[in-house]
Amino acid sequence: MMASAVAGLVERLESSAHLNATLAWSHAALEGEAANVRSVGAGPLSSMPIAVKDNIVTTTLPTTCASRILEGYVSPYEATVVTRLRAAGALIACKANLDEFAMGSSTEHSAYGRVHHPLDPDLVPGGSSGGSAALVAADVVPAALGSETGGSVRQPAAFCGIVGIKPTYGRVSRHGLVSFGSSLDCVSPFGRTVDDAARVLEVISGHDPRDVTTHALPPLDASEHLHRLDGITIGLPAEYFPDDLDPGIRAACELGVARLREQGATIRRVSLPHTGAAVPAYYIVNPAEAAANLARYDGVRYGTRQIGDAGDLRALYRATRGRGFGPEVRRRILVGTFALSAGYTDRYYARAQAARRCIIDDFTSVFADGVDLLFTPTTPTTAFRAGEKLADPVQMYLADVFVCPASLAGVPAMSLPLGRSGGLPVGGQLIGPSLGEARMIAVARLLESVLDATAEVR
Amino acid sequence: MEWETVIGLEVHVQLATVTKMFCACRTSYGEPPNTVVCPTCLGLPGALPAANLEAVRLGVLGARALGCTVHQTSVFARKNYFYPDLPKGYQISQFDKPLATDGAILVETPERGTIRVGITRLHLEEDAGKSLHDRIPGQTAIDLNRAGTPLAEIVGFHDLRSPAEARAYLTTLRQLLVYAGVSECSMEKGSLRVDANLSVRRPGAPLGTKTEVKNMNSFANVERALESERTRQIALLEGGESVEQVTLTFNAATGAVKVLRVKEDAHDYRYFPDPDLPPMVLESAWLEARDAELPELPTARQGRFRDAFGLPDYDVGVLTAEPVVADYVEAIVTAGAEPKVAANWVMGEAMARFKETGTFAVTPDRLAALITLQGSGFLSGNAAKEVFREMVEDTEADPKAIAIRLGVVQVQDAGALEGWVDEVLAAHPGEVERYKGGDAKLIGFFVGQVMKRSRGKADPKGIQPILAARLDR
Amino acid sequence: MKIGTGDVRHIATLAELEISEAELPSLAADMERIVTFVEQLPDIPVGDRTSVTVGPSALRLREDVVDPVPLARPPEANAPAWRDGFFVVPALDGLGEDE
Repeated sequence: MMASAVAGLVERLESSAHLNATLAWSHAALEGEAANVRSVGAGPLSSMPIAVKDNIVTTTLPTTCASRILEGYVSPYEATVVTRLRAAGALIACKANLDEFAMGSSTEHSAYGRVHHPLDPDLVPGGSSGGSAALVAADVVPAALGSETGGSVRQPAAFCGIVGIKPTYGRVSRHGLVSFGSSLDCVSPFGRTVDDAARVLEVISGHDPRDVTTHALPPLDASEHLHRLDGITIGLPAEYFPDDLDPGIRAACELGVARLREQGATIRRVSLPHTGAAVPAYYIVNPAEAAANLARYDGVRYGTRQIGDAGDLRALYRATRGRGFGPEVRRRILVGTFALSAGYTDRYYARAQAARRCIIDDFTSVFADGVDLLFTPTTPTTAFRAGEKLADPVQMYLADVFVCPASLAGVPAMSLPLGRSGGLPVGGQLIGPSLGEARMIAVARLLESVLDATAEVR
Repeated sequence: MEWETVIGLEVHVQLATVTKMFCACRTSYGEPPNTVVCPTCLGLPGALPAANLEAVRLGVLGARALGCTVHQTSVFARKNYFYPDLPKGYQISQFDKPLATDGAILVETPERGTIRVGITRLHLEEDAGKSLHDRIPGQTAIDLNRAGTPLAEIVGFHDLRSPAEARAYLTTLRQLLVYAGVSECSMEKGSLRVDANLSVRRPGAPLGTKTEVKNMNSFANVERALESERTRQIALLEGGESVEQVTLTFNAATGAVKVLRVKEDAHDYRYFPDPDLPPMVLESAWLEARDAELPELPTARQGRFRDAFGLPDYDVGVLTAEPVVADYVEAIVTAGAEPKVAANWVMGEAMARFKETGTFAVTPDRLAALITLQGSGFLSGNAAKEVFREMVEDTEADPKAIAIRLGVVQVQDAGALEGWVDEVLAAHPGEVERYKGGDAKLIGFFVGQVMKRSRGKADPKGIQPILAARLDR
Repeated sequence: MKIGTGDVRHIATLAELEISEAELPSLAADMERIVTFVEQLPDIPVGDRTSVTVGPSALRLREDVVDPVPLARPPEANAPAWRDGFFVVPALDGLGEDE
């Protein structure tokens, strides 16, 4: 690893400071990373600097989840994905800002300040992996790790004009990913190109005995290159193209569809009838799991502790958690606790699980019916203005309407830039069947090659 | 009018695994605090559970030993509550889909003979850490070494009608689990813990309000605590008051129970399936293999000891209480000893040692050899005991060599015996006369004199024929 | 469903979250909005609620072999309060919890 490469990275990290996209990096840590790169020698990601979302634990830099409650916390162990990146010769560039505990769609809910969109500081980069996305979009790093629970990589990838791949649930180890919605969480890479993101996914994927929800499979091989799409059927689900879809988004998607057809793909209109249930179901299942996952932040074993006024244990718990968590985290804990509390489980949690089952079945049947991949818009709008959706949590949740269903179903999905509308990136989403990443990535690679991501769509 | 007592017990046993339930830390006892911990059992951010196959296997063996139906699919769930020794803020347990349900065991009771006690369910879960309230003034100290230790929770049906029955149930339950190799089941070490529910009612009336009694550290104390609670409840009811739903703690020093707290509405544990752990699916072939490896259980073994070994009921009870004792007896018999003699040895000399040290110092083969020496007249009973004591110290030498070294071998040589007999008869002419005159009882006197003269070394079996030959001449 | 400040207070107690009186009304309004929103869920018959499994359909069990994830720093390195090898918290008197 050349010293000049580290110096270049440092310069980019410093010059992008206005984005507020990083939470931690250090010269000393980068020196250590460079030494590791030299000792690994040639690896699949040799010398590639990668930003890591700050809800993935590292022993060399703190992991805060953008929360006061974990201020200064340094993990005594390292996430499997980080270990795998290092073994492949990558260099951990920094820890990236996020919505606190990954709860949000705009990266405004960080205890350490919001992240700015690289193209316009008044806009949000999307979220919750907004720091990782902004760092890739601003060319600070070629790739980054984010995490998906309900679209937290695909949505910011679309807003920032880069590529984000959510793998099949169970494709990548969660060991060391701070749990948020355990049945939904996926470590997911960003790249400037499909190739960059796919190479990172290959390295971090594969069975990990430390995470029993990973499939017993070897690492993903996403090297397939397609020259044509003949024989491939792409489904366009009606529910993702509502009449009131933003015209710029619609135009960009139509362009994408035209390109797919030109390459030989068969385009078919399909229906995923339970799509409308996805966001409501998500906002029960996810907070229920989150409320339990965040119970461990109690000021006893690690993290910040607030003594509380009464000085007893219960006051310590309440003060530590009440003051350590930000407003969106507290809201979700309350909703999740409510949804599982005595008398409400069947009305909320059980119903949401039943809806989730229907959403899974929707995808299963469409893919069983000869559709290879689905193509949809990633988001209903382009990047929105900071503060615009903060007043109403439900409006913020609806920003995830097209990304939530694949998260609930556990199927792979990705966003790639289609072009621009009003000067802002528009993302197109490909959704594949369970464990169908290789074909999905191959199609995305070909589509990427026939699109000009920075061109205004008319 | 009489009161009827209704008792149900919940028993937690620590499964005899090498590692914890959901992480690969060693299970530990008595280690320095917070030294046998890892990211998972500390509940660190990002750490995940991975369930232990051996814990599942032991849970299945336990369930089968208690006659339960083991379910092919069971689900781990999160039980949510805050406590400082519960690192994740939830306990991984099983809720609506437990490992096993619907078992029953037969219990010998003092008042009602053999009764059947239902086992409602057996499920797997992880233990919490320990909260120590007396270490540091004004503070509670938390040790997480125990956090994550695998437990089976065994919920018994409220089929018990007295504190003595509760104790008998625990004794039988423990014996079954120890036989099945599921757990050490030591209340002293905390590897078996009991929570008891008790209510009283008029016979035939609906169930009364139950209370929960905790903090009992022996089966005897379970019985004492329940006696105390039964008395308290009856006194309340006979005094025209009602029983409140409370949790009580037992004070072994005073023998009394004390109300710990009034139970509020049922805790809202907000159970839901743990998304970190897919459903546990046990193949039927795997389950059948577990049935095949279930060791012989107490009833079967007791039957065999009675029928094949011809041992009396008392011996059978003593020798089968602990499988390690039963195994020992059995090995001695297999090595060639007569069963009743082996039983006497084990219940006598060997058991005394075992109770002190927890192990048998003399191997079954060596004890069988000693028993054979005694049976052949090579050693007297007292000499054999002397040799045994030496065998405990000297674990190498064979009993014959030890007997020779100690000089306690019985004299069976006819010439030597004849010499002692002649000396005795010569020294007691009067007694010889009386014997010859018909006082046959004197034969015992002569044998005793010969033993005395030989300083106990003469083989009594060899003396009698010589005496008879001399006196009847 | 109507969510009042009393509901929020009760749930906050279950979740061990300190919420100031001043925050209660706005949190109640937020929660009510969220709960009303999620009540749009179609009324699908609720079957076996544990049956939703993404990822592997059955649990793979681990061999009983000592192999913990090592700790690069001891527990006390991150402990907010630590004494004589123990994590410490205010004495538990009056907590009224069991287990």
